[in-house]
Amino acid sequence: MSKYVPKVSELKKEFDEKPSVLKGNYSAQEWWDIPVEFRDGNWCFPGKPEVLEDLGFANPRKWAATDQDWQLPAGWQKTISDGLQSRLKKYRSLKLFLDACVRCGACADKCHFFLGTGDPKNMPVVRAELLRSVYRNDFPLVEKILKGFSGSRKLTEEVIKEWHAYFHQCTECRRCSVFCPFGIDTAEITMMVRELLNLIGVNNNWILAPVSNCNRTGNHLGIEPHTFVQNITSLVDDIEDLTGVTVEPTFNRKGAEVLFITPSGDVFGDPGVYTMMGYLLLFHHIGLDYTISTYASEGGNFGMFTSNDMMKKLNAKMYHEAKRLGVKWILGGECGHMWRVVHQYMNTMNGPADFLEVPVSPMTGTRFNNAAATKMVHIAEFTADLIYHKKLKLDPKRNDHLRTTFHDSCNVARGMGMFEEPRYVLRNVCNSFHEMPEDTIREKTFCCGSGSGLNAEENMELRMRGGFPRANAVRYVKEHNKVDSLVTICAIDRASLPPLMKYWNPGVTVYGLHELVGNALVMQGEKKRTEDLRENPMAGFDDGGDDDEE
Amino acid sequence: MNAHKAKILEQWLKRALELFPEKMDNTTPVAVVFSGALEGIVSGLCNNDNDYRAALDDMTRILAVQSTLPSKALSIFLEPKLILRDMMMKTTVADALMPEEQEAFHSRLDALTLEAFDSYMQHREKIYQLKVEEGRRRMFMALRRAEP
Ligand code: SF4
Ligand code: SF4
Repeated sequence: MSKYVPKVSELKKEFDEKPSVLKGNYSAQEWWDIPVEFRDGNWCFPGKPEVLEDLGFANPRKWAATDQDWQLPAGWQKTISDGLQSRLKKYRSLKLFLDACVRCGACADKCHFFLGTGDPKNMPVVRAELLRSVYRNDFPLVEKILKGFSGSRKLTEEVIKEWHAYFHQCTECRRCSVFCPFGIDTAEITMMVRELLNLIGVNNNWILAPVSNCNRTGNHLGIEPHTFVQNITSLVDDIEDLTGVTVEPTFNRKGAEVLFITPSGDVFGDPGVYTMMGYLLLFHHIGLDYTISTYASEGGNFGMFTSNDMMKKLNAKMYHEAKRLGVKWILGGECGHMWRVVHQYMNTMNGPADFLEVPVSPMTGTRFNNAAATKMVHIAEFTADLIYHKKLKLDPKRNDHLRTTFHDSCNVARGMGMFEEPRYVLRNVCNSFHEMPEDTIREKTFCCGSGSGLNAEENMELRMRGGFPRANAVRYVKEHNKVDSLVTICAIDRASLPPLMKYWNPGVTVYGLHELVGNALVMQGEKKRTEDLRENPMAGFDDGGDDDEE
Repeated sequence: MNAHKAKILEQWLKRALELFPEKMDNTTPVAVVFSGALEGIVSGLCNNDNDYRAALDDMTRILAVQSTLPSKALSIFLEPKLILRDMMMKTTVADALMPEEQEAFHSRLDALTLEAFDSYMQHREKIYQLKVEEGRRRMFMALRRAEP
């Protein structure tokens, strides 16, 4: 019998003892009274002891969120309290965000987790209140505002459980901040709480294992240099089979003009590898003098979901490698949080990168002044500039078998304000592109529901709930415009949107932007192309047909 | 039966949304999908056609990933009986349904509830399938090398 079928006696007990919406007795309760509950499918496995030991993180042990006793370390209250105080001093934004909220509620129904669960603690204002209420107790500041609630409460183990549950139901997407009149960024509150939780060993293995791997081998999966090269080499072979063109990436080559860094998902995962093939074709097409590092072999930065120090360290690795190789600047692939870290925090943490040059496109001469501090250019921007200057030979008909829409990844859209460049590229490489409804794109984009390290398999149900608003918007264009392809520029999206689509919108496939670029690029010396990079037939390019009228 | 359709629909949507701890506004994606799906289901029930499977799937697809117990989630499909009973108690004799009409409505609803269970379970199974597939996709290149 499935473990999901409860025994009658359990059901009865649950119904008798627990408040329930059906009995209507939640309505009399306020959020701070609703108990937190961990059920299969709504929590991520905690960090393995060996992973914590590797990283030197606190309180390594075997435990699970469903345990009664979380084995918190002695004096954990003081650790959290001191940790909060020192962070309030260090990060003015945190103090500001905790103090400024007037509880106007404008953010309440803007979070995809609230919209997917109806859980009041997933309203950004309440999520922040989970920390604020404790902060108030320690630092009495504000008068009583909420009826029946002093605005403060004691730091108990129950609160820690609640923090763990709800700050891991926030993907740090910042959608709420767009609607807040004060610009309060609940994402940063989440970052701080996760940092505090890590101090007492309350954590998530899906975040910490990649952090530890990245710390040691340079990428999330812990792929060692020879395997990393081997993976890319077999993609080179695939490209040759499909196009007849031999692309020649180099590794760890000193003196290259550009260091290319992308999330490692593009090197080992499906469908990321097809995006990688797109990059390789593009670089070959324009004759870029670039190299790939097997040490800085990860663009992603799970440090951002762990602690500021970890984020800083993992970000610094890319710059150390750029310095070691003596490149002029860094070109970054399609990634979400890598860009948020580079755009928002890099210069403060590790900048300025004076040993690099302000990036200039060797093909168009465009100087990327926006990257003057970080010396790192986003591939969508780079490619858009190439297209604008007519440096690419493209045949968008080669993507005629796809009807596309574009998902703005939170980190690139809201985190760095990039909306138009990927759309410009997409419009130039395919003929069918339809936008999702206005309030679900650009700065109002809905998160995939799996960002910020919540992408664990065991967390699937929660991810499906959180991703529902996004999926629902895709459904709209699927029904109205027959869209069957969801294009994105983030590696987490490429990993998390396929299951989301399979669940909510079967028949919609997920693509990276540069995969479509790779399909459309007319390469010098190529053989007749009939299949896209996934070896699916292109429309109107079948073997017999006279395809290319150009 | 059709005369009562709008009333049943309105009541049912209200009760279905109460499954969520916090009030779901009618403009939220869940409410929009629920409202469309329930309309399809109620039409099917009232017209006695079986054209409601897609609508039923839309409902159970949402329910199957909520943290509510399956029994609680599926109790949504028992609501129309209660709604109809309440309506009949309040309605005039002229508007009341004949006992055999009510009986027929109840048995259609029973059949629908069982179908909802099938559909719900299919979605649960899908979730497990997705977990397995996800692991495979993440290891795509390694698995490809391991192939003969
Ligand atoms: S919109 Fe801003 S001020 Fe208003 S409740 Fe939300 S966080 Fe507070
Ligand atoms: S940052 Fe995103 S996930 Fe977090 S509370 Fe705001 S809207 Fe919700």
